[in-house]
Amino acid sequence: MLEHAGPQIFNGLVLGAFYAIVAIGLSLIMNLTGTINMAHGSFMTLAGYLAFAMIARGTNFWFAFLAAPIIAVLIAVIVERTLIRPLYGRDPVYSLLLTFGLSLIAEEVFHVIWGANTLPFAPPASLSGTLALGFMNFPVYRLFIVAVLVLAFAALAFFLYYTRFGLRLRAAVQDTEMIAALGTNTQLLYTINFGLGILLAGIAGVLAVGLLGLNPTTGNTLLMPAFVTVIIGGMGSLYGSIIGGILIGLATSLMTLYVPAASEVIIYVLMAIVLTIRPRGLFGEEGLFG
Amino acid sequence: MSRGRIFVLAAIALLALEPVMAPYIRVDVTIVSAALLFTIAAMSANLLLGYTGLPPFGNAAFFGLGAYGCALSIKYLNVHFITATLFGMVAALLGALIVAPFLVRRRGIYFGLLSIAFGQVFYFIAYRFTDVTGGEDGMAVPRPYLVVSAFTFKETTFYYLSLAVFIISIVIFKLIVQSPFGRTLVAIRQNELRVRYLGLDSNRFVFVAILISALFAGLSGALSAMLNGFIAPLSLDWHQSGDFVLATILGGSGTVWGPLIGSLIYEIGRDIISTITPYWQIFLGALFVACVLGFPRGILGTILARVGAAPLSNEPEEANWTQSPAIVADHRG
Repeated sequence: MLEHAGPQIFNGLVLGAFYAIVAIGLSLIMNLTGTINMAHGSFMTLAGYLAFAMIARGTNFWFAFLAAPIIAVLIAVIVERTLIRPLYGRDPVYSLLLTFGLSLIAEEVFHVIWGANTLPFAPPASLSGTLALGFMNFPVYRLFIVAVLVLAFAALAFFLYYTRFGLRLRAAVQDTEMIAALGTNTQLLYTINFGLGILLAGIAGVLAVGLLGLNPTTGNTLLMPAFVTVIIGGMGSLYGSIIGGILIGLATSLMTLYVPAASEVIIYVLMAIVLTIRPRGLFGEEGLFG
Repeated sequence: MSRGRIFVLAAIALLALEPVMAPYIRVDVTIVSAALLFTIAAMSANLLLGYTGLPPFGNAAFFGLGAYGCALSIKYLNVHFITATLFGMVAALLGALIVAPFLVRRRGIYFGLLSIAFGQVFYFIAYRFTDVTGGEDGMAVPRPYLVVSAFTFKETTFYYLSLAVFIISIVIFKLIVQSPFGRTLVAIRQNELRVRYLGLDSNRFVFVAILISALFAGLSGALSAMLNGFIAPLSLDWHQSGDFVLATILGGSGTVWGPLIGSLIYEIGRDIISTITPYWQIFLGALFVACVLGFPRGILGTILARVGAAPLSNEPEEANWTQSPAIVADHRG
């Protein structure tokens, strides 16, 4: 049984990177505006379906891979401006319920347009096949996923820590009123931040399609582990989300190998352990993303 | 007699007459039974949401524990249905005793996240323990022998049972929220720091509120399982918790009778819409959106505000949700 552990650890890392990128998107939105975005999974699924629809009509994979998340972001920006914005500053339960309602609508709409069955989605020839790593063979598509996610993390870290806009974003998380008084358009900041979160979700959504298949609930199955990732890693910590995601990704895939019945529950057990030892999460601190 | 009391008596009279009116107004007694039991679960959400100011998105777990506790005790111990209901409530209470120590430490969105996550644990346990729970397919729940064992199950009899349990529950709920304990919960929602400065351990109050909430949800779950004759893991899913919160907010969170209005609209609306179109979920989603944007105080909350009997506002004194809940936690030490 031990010989399966190597590939399974790799799978766990891939899964963990997924959880992390979804969690970071959630965390960005949650920290700045106090919105728990229940529709996050729906935007992932949306990007997946958009990519699928484009490729089915003969569009190049790479074009669809880039365009689908961007279209999802445009839709997200419209949703944020019209529906979510009125709820800023109100009790968080309202935005949670609103986005929950949106996810219910979205799920049914996907259902009507694309049906309930899992749709086939094959990665292009250049990304299929396996790569010999010496000690084991590993699917190229998974390596591609890891590469894209690592790139996305690096780009996000650069954006947050080395650009003026990232600086403003981090400042706004600490004191929105002060940064508004200093002349930053915080409404615009909220919108861009929301779009950024959905961009990460969209990228993850398109990638997930080749890994998990595509059906109306694909994104929502990643949502709950992403919540747990945020709680374990600590709210508002970029690196916490990455470590938390990898931790529960590994735990899930190793459990799937050894104790399949506990593969879902293990992440909640981990969460309970982390909360007992460190209630604010592994890397949670007051200066969010700071 | 106050105007409010007249409305309450009229509502109870209407509910008592429902089995007689059912053929004329075309609202089945089973639907209203379900709505009454749903109300008890919504009340359990209301205690945390409307009074204590905590977003409870894991109450379906307590609801489901009540349902499975009831179902399994009938299946394996063959107990009377009242004993089975008590088994369900104890199961919900035990579940709450496990998760409450984690939940009490957090407020605001963090509480919401934790309640969703811990609620899902019970969903997955019910989903995975196929030997005991029947897994995804769910399990049949034997319907109770009510008064005499010769008559197994009658919709109308069960309806009056639900109504009686509902009335007892709402009386208890009202006594709780009007007691010094209930007022302290409201004070915690409005300004927890001040409550702590007055020397009260607010975490202990929240802890007890979660346990009471679980007992109500467990009661609702146990009776709902017997009403439907069936229980499946989806009843423990956070979607179900969201529906409880929706019914509460739709009716008016922080009001005693709001959840009843919300639950009646939810159950009867679902019944009517499902017969017209298969896309009930789109309507439900739109109801969420419309309720949040158009009726944030809920139906009863809006009415009470009109007549000057302002209900409890759901916003805390100093709402600053952009701040990290971790900071709030720091203040509390």
